[in-house]
Amino acid sequence: MESMTPISCPTTPRWNQDRPFLTGRFHQETRASSKFADSKRFTLDSSSSGVEQAIGCYDTPVQELIVIDDLLSALVGIEGRYISIKRFHGKEDSIAFQVDPSMDLALQELAKRIFPLCEYYLLIDQFVESSSQFKNGLVNHAFAAALRALLLDYQAMVAQLEHQFRLGRLSIQGLWFYCQPMMGSMRALAAVIQQASTKQFVGSGVLNLLQSQAKAMAGDNSVRSLLEKMTECASNAYLSILERWVYEGIIDDPYGEFFIAENRSLKKESLSQDSTAKYWSQRYSLKDTIPGFLANIAATILTTGKYLNVMRECGHNVQVPISERSKLTIFGSNHHYLECIKAAHEFASIELVNLIKDKYDLVGRLRSIKHYLLLDQGDFLVHFMDIAREELNKKVHEISVEKLQSLLDLALRTTAAAADPRHEDLTCCVDRASLLTTLGMHKDTDSNSIEDPMSITGLETFSLSYKVQWPLSIVISKKALSKYQLIFRFLFHCKHVERQLCGAWQIHQGIRSMNSKGTAILRSSLLCRSMLKFISSLLHYLTFEVLEPNWHVMHDRLQSTRSVDEVIQHHDFFLDKCLRGCLLLLPDVLKKMEKLKSVCLQYAAATQWLISSSIDINSQSHPQKTMIRDTTVTESIFNFEREFNSELQSLGPVLSKGSQAEPYLTHLSQWILGVSKE
Amino acid sequence: MPREIITLQVGQCGNQIGMEFWKQLCLEHGISKDGILEDFATQGGDRKDVFFYQADDQHYIPRALLIDLEPRVINGIQNGDYRNLYNHENIFVADHGGGAGNNWASGYHQGKGVEEEIMDMIDREADGSDSLEGFVLCHSIAGGTGSGMGSYLLETLNDRYSKKLVQTYSVFPNQMETSDVVVQPYNSLLTLKRLTLNADCVVVLDNTALGRIAVERLHLTNPTFAQTNSLVSTVMSASTTTLRYPGYMNNDLVGLLASLIPTPRCHFLMTGYTPLTVERQANVIRKTTVLDVMRRLLQTKNIMVSSYARNKEASQAKYISILNIIQGEVDPTQVHESLQRIRERKLVNFIEWGPASIQVALSKKSPYVQTAHRVSGLMLASHTSIRHLFSKCLSQYDKLRKKQAFLDNYRKFPMFADNDLSEFDESRDIIESLVDEYKACESPDYIKWGMEDPEQLMTGEGNASGVVDPKLAF
Repeated sequence: MESMTPISCPTTPRWNQDRPFLTGRFHQETRASSKFADSKRFTLDSSSSGVEQAIGCYDTPVQELIVIDDLLSALVGIEGRYISIKRFHGKEDSIAFQVDPSMDLALQELAKRIFPLCEYYLLIDQFVESSSQFKNGLVNHAFAAALRALLLDYQAMVAQLEHQFRLGRLSIQGLWFYCQPMMGSMRALAAVIQQASTKQFVGSGVLNLLQSQAKAMAGDNSVRSLLEKMTECASNAYLSILERWVYEGIIDDPYGEFFIAENRSLKKESLSQDSTAKYWSQRYSLKDTIPGFLANIAATILTTGKYLNVMRECGHNVQVPISERSKLTIFGSNHHYLECIKAAHEFASIELVNLIKDKYDLVGRLRSIKHYLLLDQGDFLVHFMDIAREELNKKVHEISVEKLQSLLDLALRTTAAAADPRHEDLTCCVDRASLLTTLGMHKDTDSNSIEDPMSITGLETFSLSYKVQWPLSIVISKKALSKYQLIFRFLFHCKHVERQLCGAWQIHQGIRSMNSKGTAILRSSLLCRSMLKFISSLLHYLTFEVLEPNWHVMHDRLQSTRSVDEVIQHHDFFLDKCLRGCLLLLPDVLKKMEKLKSVCLQYAAATQWLISSSIDINSQSHPQKTMIRDTTVTESIFNFEREFNSELQSLGPVLSKGSQAEPYLTHLSQWILGVSKE
Repeated sequence: MPREIITLQVGQCGNQIGMEFWKQLCLEHGISKDGILEDFATQGGDRKDVFFYQADDQHYIPRALLIDLEPRVINGIQNGDYRNLYNHENIFVADHGGGAGNNWASGYHQGKGVEEEIMDMIDREADGSDSLEGFVLCHSIAGGTGSGMGSYLLETLNDRYSKKLVQTYSVFPNQMETSDVVVQPYNSLLTLKRLTLNADCVVVLDNTALGRIAVERLHLTNPTFAQTNSLVSTVMSASTTTLRYPGYMNNDLVGLLASLIPTPRCHFLMTGYTPLTVERQANVIRKTTVLDVMRRLLQTKNIMVSSYARNKEASQAKYISILNIIQGEVDPTQVHESLQRIRERKLVNFIEWGPASIQVALSKKSPYVQTAHRVSGLMLASHTSIRHLFSKCLSQYDKLRKKQAFLDNYRKFPMFADNDLSEFDESRDIIESLVDEYKACESPDYIKWGMEDPEQLMTGEGNASGVVDPKLAF
């Protein structure tokens, strides 16, 4: 998450700060003054009698009354006459209550027992104040509010005790007795707060802490239920963020507490340009602060909101239908919230899949890509290669992409593709490097032959591209498209070779009137046949053994998918399988194929010359002896034959070596080499 | 409108099968009898423009020329249901209407006479297409017009459109029955020479086999011409499906033919089709699978060329190449399995001198034609046993020639004037060398055929007929 959305939070208004007694702030404020007073007073106390006499001068019953009075003050954090508050400022601020040492020892003991409660009160009160500041986030706010409510109860208790005291019904033992129930709760809370404030927990940290404490306190029923109550209160704020995300796909998280981060720098348009398809995986991501109770379902929550978000980006205001039951509360019966999230996920993923499949017609789009990039409807290519022959034969840097584009449009308009309105999304592109080099970049294979960029023509580098709009670009991202393009380029070049060989075949057809018996022409036409057989077998393998079956598998799987992530997964799987099947990940085999194709191309290019020179010889020299005398013609045909056959022979071991790891290579070798004759 | 194909239907038989072919194409593309696209047929995905073009009012017109020397069949078409389909400028009937009298020489000679007129029509059609791929000729080789005039057209097309492909659907006469055309062996021989030299591909449709299939496979006691012709139109339309319903491969005629035809002259193809049905005929509907279809295609009883081979020879006959066009909803994995099975069972006997295997093209089925069967298949194959058909033609010719029978009719025409029968002898030589070549294909050493010493290719024999016409070649 390189750039997180900066969390801006409002500052606490000045009037709030200026008047400490409006809030509980004065407890902290008194620090400075009381510290100053403390030291003064205690020195005073110890050295000389000040305004007040030491408590020791009174009778024990009187001392008791004074102590109770002082304790009642101390319980709400106010110093009394003989009980003072000592604050230590160190690594961790701590507070200690002190009692005048001249007090009756029994009373002192009792008073000291009550002191922890006073300390807890101060601690909690302080926490309430400090965490109510805006920057501490919604969870802390909610937690503080719950604590504040508890403190109110506490203060009411203190007030009632005071009332009893005024009526003269309260002894110090009675005070101690009445404080008991509060003691445990306040202790547990104080412990939580101590941890929370020292570690400066916000958001999920607080929730986790509360929950773990509640679990740890499982033996103490009242404390446990108190902590659970606190958890519930504190998590309400969190759950409402969650609710908006899970039900609407919106992150409404002003203080950055939520466990899903949004990377706004990734735009959805990047899917059609960025070849790593980062958008989908990184636009929204999980932080590592996941509340424990959501940890198992975090991934589901992430995708739910992502899906809803996609739909919103498409202009569909989809909301998960909310009923009373779907309100998220943690402490419902049997993990109600989990069911709600699952239901929302189910809804969102089905809704999005349906949107993508129905409204945006994913399958139709994929089919159309298959028509053009996988040549499933290859007639347009025949025409395109007819009309773009000259342009494609040029060197890479001389090619005018605009011209190719207009020729492509023409070819598309006049063939079966015309019926498909999506053909308009097809564009031309010309790469700079040959297929082998492009693949070499993909995975560092040693490229022994450093290509001369001058020798590469459009035929090696031509490729098609396809404009994919949001939201289909989630599935058909630039990354996926570039895989299609690799396959297309391989197919395209094979088609080119096939075309050239067909041309060579037609040249042979032109000399039917000559009896080829015993001539090099017979050899030549049979060589042409072998080459045609090779290339058409290769094409057949690529299309009917690789592309088509894998497409069928994907197509069937897509019918039953229930989420977009599954769709992406099936589509990527299909592409990877095709890339492998099309030999594009097997450099050894691919290089052999390229070599064989280049032999075919050389032969096809030479055919015209070979045939016409043999004809010339025949017609000029001895018309009755129509034999090919020119040994160079015969020789070169034989050379082609030898080269082609030896390349083909050497393909066998390469394929059988590879076929252990890649079983489909046996199919290829059956197609190209036939079954070995026993 | 790229890669268009112009159809020439010549003579009585040619026009009859042509008519059935167009009927079938109209059905498959959802084109009405008047050439108007049916309302239900607008979903596209097919290529109508290979065989049709659209008039200004958008109605579809076949790229077809209807040529005959006698008016009967063409009149039938002009008065039939499909009369508005064809372009009437493309219909040629000889003024005299007398036909060719089952005489090849007459047809050839008359063809020469009307060359300009017909070539004008062809040129007009060719100019009307963007990148013409080639011509398809439908004719029979036995009669006078289809054979004689067809031959003349083949020569002319080869001359004028040397860069274009010429494919023919040639109906071979029924050689089991005594024909009403006594000179049929002469006509066949003379036509075969042109088919050998001037066509890129000949799809052989053997009337003998068609009749046998109608009787045995379709259980018709007396198959009518219409019924056997519908077999032909099924084959013709099926063999063009990859052009009309584009797929991964074989989207142009040259690609389709190049892989099938090994050497320039061995371009005669046999066909097989399964499952066969005839209109209004309730056949038992069986379960069709790819394997089942492919296996049946290899059975001789489904092949539309009769095998005249004797047993011993038959066992030596070999497939040079096979293309199975499978139509229908097919799971591509089945194709692989089926091929594997056929390979294992050794159901096909392939040539040994080069790579060979069954090629498969999967093609869509027309959505507008309801068929009872899920999968159907057409086989186009180059098989060496076709030589026995030619041998049979030769032997019949020899019989007739020995008697010097009926030659007078031929001598009336310039080619055979002054008792110059060298054309017969030359044709015979060419057919014989064709038979030899197919025979040589059966041997594993075909690749060295005629080369006594591969290092020194100097043999004097073997090219008695090799009149090289450089103009023709290039």
